[in-house]
Amino acid sequence: MIAVAVTLLLFPLVGLSLGRRSLAEAFLLGVGITGSVLFIAGVVHVPLVVAMVLIGAWGVGNGVWKLRRGIARPRIHSPLATIVMIIPLVALTFAAAITPLNDFDGRAFWALKAKGIAHERSIDGTFFHGGTHDPRNQYPIMIPLDGAVILSLSHSLDDRHLRWLYLAILAALALLVRERIGRLVSPAAGAWCAALLVWIPQFSVELEGGALSAYNDIAIAAFAAGAFFELLDAETRKSEIRFGLWLAFLVLTKSEGLPFALVFLAIGAFVFRKRIITPAVITFVATAALLVWRWRIPVGDEEDVFRLLPTIPEKLDRLGMAISAFPRHMLLMPRWGVFWIAVIIAAILAARIDRRAWLAIAMIASILAMYTAVYVTTAWIPSELIAVTADRLLMHAIAPSLFLLALATRRANGSA
Amino acid sequence: MSGRWLTRIAAALLFVSLAASTLPRLIAIVNNARTLLPLPYEARRERQMGTWYASIEKLRRELPKKEQISLIAPPRDHDSAVFANYYLYPIRTRLFAGRNAYRNAAPDPTRPAIVVAVNASHAERTEYDVLRNRDLAAGRRIVTEPQLSAPMTAFILPLAASLDGPSPHTFLIEATLENPNATPAEVRVAFWPKGLIRTIVIPARTTKTYYDFVYQLFGIMNAGWMRVDSSQPLRAAFYFANRGRGEATLMPNATGDATRIAPAPLHRDTKLFVINTKDSRATVILNGESIPLDPHAFISRPSETLPKVSGDVYAFVTTRELDGRTDFLWPQ
Repeated sequence: MIAVAVTLLLFPLVGLSLGRRSLAEAFLLGVGITGSVLFIAGVVHVPLVVAMVLIGAWGVGNGVWKLRRGIARPRIHSPLATIVMIIPLVALTFAAAITPLNDFDGRAFWALKAKGIAHERSIDGTFFHGGTHDPRNQYPIMIPLDGAVILSLSHSLDDRHLRWLYLAILAALALLVRERIGRLVSPAAGAWCAALLVWIPQFSVELEGGALSAYNDIAIAAFAAGAFFELLDAETRKSEIRFGLWLAFLVLTKSEGLPFALVFLAIGAFVFRKRIITPAVITFVATAALLVWRWRIPVGDEEDVFRLLPTIPEKLDRLGMAISAFPRHMLLMPRWGVFWIAVIIAAILAARIDRRAWLAIAMIASILAMYTAVYVTTAWIPSELIAVTADRLLMHAIAPSLFLLALATRRANGSA
Repeated sequence: MSGRWLTRIAAALLFVSLAASTLPRLIAIVNNARTLLPLPYEARRERQMGTWYASIEKLRRELPKKEQISLIAPPRDHDSAVFANYYLYPIRTRLFAGRNAYRNAAPDPTRPAIVVAVNASHAERTEYDVLRNRDLAAGRRIVTEPQLSAPMTAFILPLAASLDGPSPHTFLIEATLENPNATPAEVRVAFWPKGLIRTIVIPARTTKTYYDFVYQLFGIMNAGWMRVDSSQPLRAAFYFANRGRGEATLMPNATGDATRIAPAPLHRDTKLFVINTKDSRATVILNGESIPLDPHAFISRPSETLPKVSGDVYAFVTTRELDGRTDFLWPQ
């Protein structure tokens, strides 16, 4: 119960301390802020327990203060879409409460790190210095830090306490999509996009990468969604700060978060213009902290994609396989249904009527191009890497894809 | 048909394509959760992961909490070791991909002494020797047609060993004992200088074979010499084998002291071995120097040249050729 309370109360309250946001956005911001602040505190050698207490006290105090001033009551549009969205979430909640974690990366890397941090109360203790087997030692640890908060407050290293975090991230992503697309396109479009999202097998039921696993791909998708919606909402107050925060969260969540954030910054420069300095600085701070931390600890068996980039000319024979990787996986019906076919049709339709569609298309194309380059450079066997990662990487582009679907429906409805 | 209806139909088709895959799996997930619901949490994990997880739970109770352990898993079962590492934490582990990786780390003083063997079906606390013996038992002897000696009732095996060098060097004695008699032979084997004694019975007209004589008889990895005494004349063959390199050398079944080693080319890592086969003290004269030996002593000395040895002892020389093969120079 403590784990549920921490997940569903602490993180949203920390997120609310940034200002009045929807519950879903507050949760995702809270997850990001808690993990990032603890990470940076760890890098500058502030004891993790002290940092946890401070962020908890500050976040809860500030959040409760904001709550006292009232929060926007969510209006339930499209009851059918809402019910459709709730059904898988309820089923997954039931399963998460009962079924033990059973995935690969979640146990091998992410939850193990959460246990290590919770046990040692440190991000550079013996755990990260060969004290135990930690296969991907230099993987970013923002989400494991959130997990460590939950485990520490639960006084247990049992991964059952972490199940709620990963499920809640999916629910928050769905609600964020619902709210933002609801505002940017139409409430009905937002509601149906959220409903579709939670019915995508790769998000909901897939053992490796889905909501019942402890992978971080849904978190990346959620933070990328937050950044993408800030791009669309660039005129709102302090949007550039939130955009920067989402990018920092991307950097500190997974290795691919850094190039992902750079793509966002490049596209964001056209949207925010001079204001891009703020997100660039925030991203730089997160990146610098990550690099300093990595410099202090031994390398695991992870791949350094940046170092491999100069080898691209030698590996151009892989280009065909890499380029065809995503289209092949987009057509995997058991994981995506006809979702990507619909997105492509929607992109063609939406691009004609709404300039914002081009932003979404640019985002998706950039993300896929970046990951294709990784497939070309990788030191792993490309076909094996593609087989186990392509579907999870496609998850990262979910927000712009759903936005295109929403825009296309508006066009179709408008032409009625 | 209006655009609104087209949109609805398209959205419905999209949803159906997703639900067609998600719904059955969601139902399966919920049903699985329902079956797990009555069980305690650890029992649910056991149900998911089978006896493998039960063995991990047992280890968690047995292993010392503050000592790092060696997880040895065959490379094909690497994932099992990764998960064992996960479930054993905060017990700290160090992973070794196979037994050879562990033995090659022998010079590393930080190599954890406690050994846990993991594979896809279970994990168990064990000893390195046990894993080695399993691998050897599963393999094949090098010598398939041993050259048996004439029947004898007592003899000495000047070198008996069960030892590992760096991978792949695996030293052992492949033994064959044949009882050609009409009555069973009771064979007493003494391993010196440890002073361990075992008695084995070889039924009438039966042949017994051993892939690692020292370990199979005495359960230790060590080096020394052996005295074999049998109630019936035995035909026997003992090969000093390097299983990792597929090499084997027939050992003499010595019957008395001998020190006169014929000149032969020496290569590298040349060593003189001297054995006192008696129950009393002996003296060996080595290059003019007199060295007293305890009863049943077994000593070795590095040597650049062929040493001059005399005394009431048994002496022989080993030298390693450039290709790593060991040559034996036996006394005449």
